[in-house]
Amino acid sequence: MSQEKIQSQTVQTTGHAWDGDLQEYNNPIPTWWLYAFYFSVAVAVVYWLMYPAWPVGGGFTTGFDSITYVNDKGEKKTTHWNTRALFMKETNEAVAAQKPYLDKVASTPFEQITKDPELNSFVVSAGKQLFSDNCAACHQQGGGGKEGFAPNLTDDDWLYGGHFANIQQTVMNGRHGYMPAFADVLNDTQVNQLTDYVLSLSRIAVNPDSAKAGDVLFHSETAACFYCHGDNAEGRQVIGSANLTDRIWLWANVPGADTIASKEAAVKNVILGGLNKGVMPAWKDRLSPEQIKVLTVYVHELGGGK
Amino acid sequence: MASTAISSNEQYNFEIVKKFAIMSLVWGVIGMAAGVYIASELAWPFLNFDIPYITFGRLRPVHTTSVIFGFGGSALFATSYYIVQRTCQARLSSDGLASFTFWGWQAIILLSGISYMLGHTQSREYAEMEWPIDIMIEIVWVSYLALYVSTIMRRKQPHIYVANWFFLAFILATALLHTFNNLAVPVSLFSMKSYSLFSGTQDAMTEWWYGHNAVGFFLTAAFLGMMYYFVPKQAGRPIYSYRLSIVHFWALSFLYMWVGAHHLHWTALPDWTSTLAATFSIMLLLPSWGGMINGIMTLSGAWDKLRTDPIMRFLIVALSFYGMATFEGPLMALKDVNALSHYTDWTVGHVHSGTLGWVSMITFGSMYHMIPKLWDTKMWSAKLVNIHFWFASIGVLLYITAMWISGITQGLMWRAFDQYGNLQYSFVESVAAMHPFYAMRAIGGMFFLSGMLMMFFNVMMTVRQAKRESAALESKLSAKMAKAGLAGA
Repeated sequence: MSQEKIQSQTVQTTGHAWDGDLQEYNNPIPTWWLYAFYFSVAVAVVYWLMYPAWPVGGGFTTGFDSITYVNDKGEKKTTHWNTRALFMKETNEAVAAQKPYLDKVASTPFEQITKDPELNSFVVSAGKQLFSDNCAACHQQGGGGKEGFAPNLTDDDWLYGGHFANIQQTVMNGRHGYMPAFADVLNDTQVNQLTDYVLSLSRIAVNPDSAKAGDVLFHSETAACFYCHGDNAEGRQVIGSANLTDRIWLWANVPGADTIASKEAAVKNVILGGLNKGVMPAWKDRLSPEQIKVLTVYVHELGGGK
Repeated sequence: MASTAISSNEQYNFEIVKKFAIMSLVWGVIGMAAGVYIASELAWPFLNFDIPYITFGRLRPVHTTSVIFGFGGSALFATSYYIVQRTCQARLSSDGLASFTFWGWQAIILLSGISYMLGHTQSREYAEMEWPIDIMIEIVWVSYLALYVSTIMRRKQPHIYVANWFFLAFILATALLHTFNNLAVPVSLFSMKSYSLFSGTQDAMTEWWYGHNAVGFFLTAAFLGMMYYFVPKQAGRPIYSYRLSIVHFWALSFLYMWVGAHHLHWTALPDWTSTLAATFSIMLLLPSWGGMINGIMTLSGAWDKLRTDPIMRFLIVALSFYGMATFEGPLMALKDVNALSHYTDWTVGHVHSGTLGWVSMITFGSMYHMIPKLWDTKMWSAKLVNIHFWFASIGVLLYITAMWISGITQGLMWRAFDQYGNLQYSFVESVAAMHPFYAMRAIGGMFFLSGMLMMFFNVMMTVRQAKRESAALESKLSAKMAKAGLAGA
């Protein structure tokens, strides 16, 4: 011990000096370093023996490790270890786990799915994933929607109907909401009157006389609002026209406006300019019928399914 | 008296070292500020402000180019010119060429940053510069090589000091990497746009052969060169083992070139290429550690200085992070570990434990040693150096801890299946889960940037102090001369 210490103190330098005092001891390479390096080389060699490693001729050494997987045709295959086989193995396990449930979803009517606790919890699990990947970009994670952009799917207000069949239709074929612009049809007074009428339907305190005039205009051939929004202004789900009486707003940000004047401005803006941006794409070519069925039940269960 | 001052100036070209040292700090401030800003954009996306020039995608290469090539590159030019002159006892062979590398390099970094913000990019990580800038780099780099080699050839002693081997390996390898990775055909002479000569997997392979060796030779070998000079100088002790330095130098140089493909595990890259990269990464661990062992064992006789000398602290922390990052690297290069870590923030954390912990810390330590010597004075505030050390250390730790947690969380969330075979989490849920860690990372970056600003201020004050001192000395001398002259008359 002490001898070692003395030895290490008396290790010579290489005899060179640079820039005044820069020198190097002639210490040997630490043995632990050397053996650890040899060990790492041994590990590498074992790795080479197990897995595809060295290019030889037109091919490569395949290694001794193998992998067994079931391919798309249901055949069991064994091959040398490779990432493609591993991918097939792992994804096919997941696909196999999903299959019995998806088959059952395909053959079960909507109402029955929700009554089967096992199947329903599968739908919730698969639906969340499908919704997040396909729908959440517009309707937001959880389906809360976004003002001025995409409707809230968690309330019981439905532009196109909240029954299973309606939702399935919406997901499969998409939707395109449209309202004509009235800027060239109506004068400013008329637009103000209509605005006040629409706001009065949500029990917002506007000028009652103006609202009354708007009521008449709404049901007249001049503005003809009732054609789409209906006599009672509750909308028509066949064409996706909005219910104006339920205090739920998608395009005119009435709840977010502080003053009556700004609420009026929001509604007026829609009447003057119309709407042509309520476009939802069709998913029938992107998702399988089972996936659409899963999504339909998932959306139905977000809160407001009829 | 005055003539001795001039002759020491004439022995070495320190003007060029000073210029590069100052610009290194300038790019450090700019690049790290850009880094903090983009980290904040990830945590608080409103900071993009819908302004295309400052969105994450454009500012990110501004950050990487400014810190790697601006800060790191200028620091390497400065220290390599300083070291090669002092260890060869020879002045740089050409002042003009040295000056050319300075102005050329600064123009390259500046033009790169502007072109990225305007939307020009090759989309090759760490080589985003479009072809006209690539040609400029080629010319400046070959000049650097010529200057370096010709200076070594003028050396006054037969043996070439170890630091110079590492710098030479760095300059040669970078020339090679830069040339082959940037082989591209411009759309036209007057267009910034170009298309790579390689396609598909081969293109990706070329990019990562470059990308990883940029780490290996630019950010490792070159900074080891820095380490091999400043650590023994600051400790006042000889290098621990000459033999270890030779063996780990050649092992490192040989093995690094093979490992780039570990950035492409689980992709279209052939499995055998992937395996080779993984195994060479494992074999690279000990050669990398050779530098750490040599550094730490050199410092080990001077532990007492750790209590009093903040420069020693920078150096020892740098070596520790170097050891940690070079252990983490081979670990992440294993295919099974990579399956978890790939595409996650773990990678980002790993890179930063190397760049903040190792590259920046060794640069700070070296600069604090070199700058007072260059201007022939003391640091304006030793206390501020110490505060810088703590800010930098806290910054790195916050940064890499945040990225470890967020990276492993991401990896686990992406691969989680439930009992039905459905993915348990959607991608957007993993993004939402990252928010606290992104905020923490941004704060870590702010600490590191604050330290950098302290250093910049401290160095500026040191330069001012040096000018005042030399002016005082000058006037004292001339007063003396005048008096002597008067007496003579």
